[in-house]
Amino acid sequence: MKVILQYIRRKLSVRVSLWVVMFAAIIFNAALAFLFYQARDAVRQEAVNRAMQILDKTSQRVEGILNRVEVASNMTMWLVQRHPDKADSMFVYSRSMLQNNPDFYNCSIAFEPDYFKEKGRYFSAYTKHVGDSLRTIQGGSDNYQYFFMDWYLMPTLLDKPCWTEPYFDLDVATNTSEMVTSYGQAIKDKQGKLIGVINTSLSISWLSQTISSVKPYPNSYSIMIGRGGTYFVHPDTTKITRQTIFTQTMDNLNDNQVSSAHGRGCRGEAENDTALIALGHAMQHGEEGMKQMDIDGKHCYIFYKPLGQTGCSMAIVCPESDIFSGFDRLRHTVMAIVTVGLLLMLYLFIRIITHELKPLHRLAKEAETIASGKLDAELPDFQRIDEIGQLSQSFGNMQHSLVKYIEELKDTTAQKASIESDLRIASGIQMGMLPTKFPTKDERDHVQLYASLTPAKEVGGDLFDFYFREEKLFFCIGDVSGKGVPASLFMAVTRSIFRTVSAHESMPDRIVTIMNKTIADMNKNHMFVTLFVGVLDLPTGLLRYCNAGHDAPLLVGAGVGELACDANIPVGFMPKWKYSLQETQIFTGTTIFLFTDGLTEAMDADKAQFTMERVNNVAINALSHGQQEPRQLIGQMTDAVHQFVGDAEQSDDLTMMAIQYIRQDSDVLMCKNIVLFNDTKQVPKLTAFVDEVCEAVGLTPDVTAQVKVAIEEAVVNVMNYAYPPDTHGNVTIEAVLTEDEVNNKWLKFTVIDSGKPFDPTVQAAVDTTLPAKERHIGGLGIHIMRQMMDSINYERMDNLNILTLRKKIRVKNEKPPSNSPQGERNK
Amino acid sequence: MYKTTRCLFMAILTFCCMIQTAAAQDETIVFTPQWTAQAQFAGYYVAAAKGFYREAGVKVRIEHPSTTQSSMLRLRQNICQATTLQLCQAMEIVDDGIPLVNILQTSMNNAMVIVSARDKNPLTQKGAKVGIWSVGFGQLAICMSIKDRLDYQWVRFAQNINLFLSGALDATLAMSYNEYYQLVQAGIKMTDKNVYRFCDHGYNVQEDGVYMTRDYYLRHREQAKRFSQASRKGWEWAAQHPEETLDIVMQYVDRENIATNRVMQRLMLQEVLRLQVDRESRKREFRLRPDMVMQASRLMVENQMLSREVTYKELVCE
Repeated sequence: MKVILQYIRRKLSVRVSLWVVMFAAIIFNAALAFLFYQARDAVRQEAVNRAMQILDKTSQRVEGILNRVEVASNMTMWLVQRHPDKADSMFVYSRSMLQNNPDFYNCSIAFEPDYFKEKGRYFSAYTKHVGDSLRTIQGGSDNYQYFFMDWYLMPTLLDKPCWTEPYFDLDVATNTSEMVTSYGQAIKDKQGKLIGVINTSLSISWLSQTISSVKPYPNSYSIMIGRGGTYFVHPDTTKITRQTIFTQTMDNLNDNQVSSAHGRGCRGEAENDTALIALGHAMQHGEEGMKQMDIDGKHCYIFYKPLGQTGCSMAIVCPESDIFSGFDRLRHTVMAIVTVGLLLMLYLFIRIITHELKPLHRLAKEAETIASGKLDAELPDFQRIDEIGQLSQSFGNMQHSLVKYIEELKDTTAQKASIESDLRIASGIQMGMLPTKFPTKDERDHVQLYASLTPAKEVGGDLFDFYFREEKLFFCIGDVSGKGVPASLFMAVTRSIFRTVSAHESMPDRIVTIMNKTIADMNKNHMFVTLFVGVLDLPTGLLRYCNAGHDAPLLVGAGVGELACDANIPVGFMPKWKYSLQETQIFTGTTIFLFTDGLTEAMDADKAQFTMERVNNVAINALSHGQQEPRQLIGQMTDAVHQFVGDAEQSDDLTMMAIQYIRQDSDVLMCKNIVLFNDTKQVPKLTAFVDEVCEAVGLTPDVTAQVKVAIEEAVVNVMNYAYPPDTHGNVTIEAVLTEDEVNNKWLKFTVIDSGKPFDPTVQAAVDTTLPAKERHIGGLGIHIMRQMMDSINYERMDNLNILTLRKKIRVKNEKPPSNSPQGERNK
Repeated sequence: MYKTTRCLFMAILTFCCMIQTAAAQDETIVFTPQWTAQAQFAGYYVAAAKGFYREAGVKVRIEHPSTTQSSMLRLRQNICQATTLQLCQAMEIVDDGIPLVNILQTSMNNAMVIVSARDKNPLTQKGAKVGIWSVGFGQLAICMSIKDRLDYQWVRFAQNINLFLSGALDATLAMSYNEYYQLVQAGIKMTDKNVYRFCDHGYNVQEDGVYMTRDYYLRHREQAKRFSQASRKGWEWAAQHPEETLDIVMQYVDRENIATNRVMQRLMLQEVLRLQVDRESRKREFRLRPDMVMQASRLMVENQMLSREVTYKELVCE
């Protein structure tokens, strides 16, 4: 079955043919069913008419003869009643009856017992045909007491002429029997007293033969039953006179009948016999009609009608199969023709459709050839203008288009491969731009730092950067609008500008403002970048920052909280936008956690975002476990994001940077200060002060000389340029000796003035390798300070310029850095 | 009409006794059942067919009565030596001066019923025309009619149930094993209302028994005894093997060309066997009950059907 279904599914021709034939079959069957139904009804009606005609004919014939008997009996009655006292006349009357009616069987004119005293107890003038002659005798004897017979009793008791139930009349003399029915008529005298009965018998063997021969259909048969339901005509001769129409129903009811004999009455009859019982009663009651029932396993139609006044009823039993045999033959023939026709139709349809679709097979094969890669395969030309021809033509066009398209595709693929290669290189370059080396604790004891950037595509638009200048950490994090190559290029530009600008600017707002102007001027594509720029003063922990539309960083320290940020627009929109500066004090141990929106907007498979709430939770969790160290914090955040996102594709670049400030306060061993005027005449005081300090610290003369040169350079620079000419101003010099947690001793000089802001550390360093004439003017002073001291730092706080110069106090065998004081203060 | 019949029997029996000496010489017992071949006599057919008579050392030939030779006539003429009679019949004959001996009593219950037409209770049909057998059964019915003042008009008939079926009778007497089933077979519906059973109304008098003339019996005691025992054995076998018995019955039916069928004979056999079981002892006793003899005798004397009481002793063998 499965194979057949698969075959049908595979073959269009079979499928289409089946549909057509199926619809044809439905239409044919509906039409034929209606036709057969109507025809069957007509055939049934015809059968009813035919059977009824036969029954009518037989009944009329019987009635004709019965009427003759009744007329003859009446005439004899007239004669008998005229001479009721003349016994011998009765023999004449009886004989005359048969003489005049040779087809009568016998005639008795019987009288009541002892009616004719001279004749004894019995007197019955009985005449009967014996061969061709008539025999007339006196009937009645002790052995044949006729007055107890039905034929005698029935008319007397009913007080009207009547026909007896058929019975076998036995002729003792010849030991032959004849089935007869008798017409009895009571004889009464003038007083109306019963004196005898005239009984005329009629052989019904002719009737039996007539009825038996009624055979309207090959397997039909006729039956005749009497008043008591006894069969007098039946094809099964063993039933005649021995069984009634009810006998076979009694066989089934045997048990019930036995129980009824016990006085419980006759119970219900078996359902199967109900129809037969109904028929029996209908026939007994002299009804006329038709019934249907199963007889001997065959469904039969039974037509019945009473036979005159005899009390008998005749029935014709016609098997349904016989009545409808011609009809069934016709029906089967028609159905066979239709079935064969439909099968033939199916076969032809399949053949025709298969033939018509043959080009499609060829086309399919050719298509497979093309599909296998032979694009130059030649398509067949069917020379047809129908749908298949059009399909073939379209196929050809498609082949040409395909060839062309594949050629183009090859080129495009090659180009794409090239672009991908470029992108891989660009990605490498972009990643190379970002700092990959993070300062160790040994290198920077005031700060720890870690960052990561995971682009969503080969190249991304996120950026971060940091570097140290003097005692300051410059850092930024940003997110360029868009993704891919444009964003990466924009990011590269942004990062370069940051480096360039911040080399000369220490204030984040300035840095961002300059960057904004630069970027906005060249921003033809209207791209922008959100940017957070911060400058952390390492000695003091003061963080200056400017946020240009970027996510506010988290501060993870005593608790977790967002860093307050002003509402500045992203960089690149408006070249004249003035970005605000913000600052805050970062305490030791606090981690500044910076990130792009790739973190908060990381999406899982259901497009749900990671959200700031989760970022906070991870940070809190890390803090509670003491894991706010940058590398640990970023690691935890990365794990949390990966766990949340699962297998979902990364939707945006993800960048995180964490900076932990870890400066420990040093022990102050010594503290001295001096306040000078802005007059170079005060320099000897300064020198004396420095000598005093160096001596107190115990520096070697060489180191003392270096320190002296650097301090003098710084202070003289302030005295000369910090205040406007002819303006009085102070210069405070503070010297402090400290010892840190690893027992390093530092000598720090802080030069403080209230003059105009000036950051000497942002001045370009002088190239000392060039001859003096080729060098630019300025920049040598800061160079000297850098060379003489271990670090210098500038801060502008409370309208004061604070320049810090530090010198590490080394043990005796420790080699000091080789440098020499030189240069002047740059302008 | 009833008296006439009795006188007729009497005359014939007297004649019979005169010629019996010559006829009794034959060793073979000719047994004539009182009716045509049917399951009413199944035990005797079985005894013959299964060789019980032969085994008992008695020669028995079963000959049914003909239209010209009734069973009683055959007994009287010594054409047969044994016949079946109903108890009431036998008592009438004895009363008329012909001593009979009951050598085997098969019936322990009365089988007679009155079936009324048109679903009417027979007891409410005063003066109704009721069919009765012309050959002399139905004594109890006549007694009941008189006793209950029903004044039935008795219509004697020779043949079967057709008179009743034609509507000429209001009711008819029937035997529960024979005519009753013929009526059912003719489509008459039997209900508790239209059937009157004598056995249920104080007339439970035994019926069929095998009788011989006392004279013959006295001369052939041993033969009679063997015949009786073998017949009883036949009945007992029939009770145990109803279907085989039915086969044997149908052989007789076919041989005698009787207008009946196996269904009717099966019903008849079942009913006859049932009637053989005593109501009180619930056994097949095969004996004449003195109380039933006395009851029948008194009823018939009361209704002038007997001139004197016929006693149990007069009927049984010594």
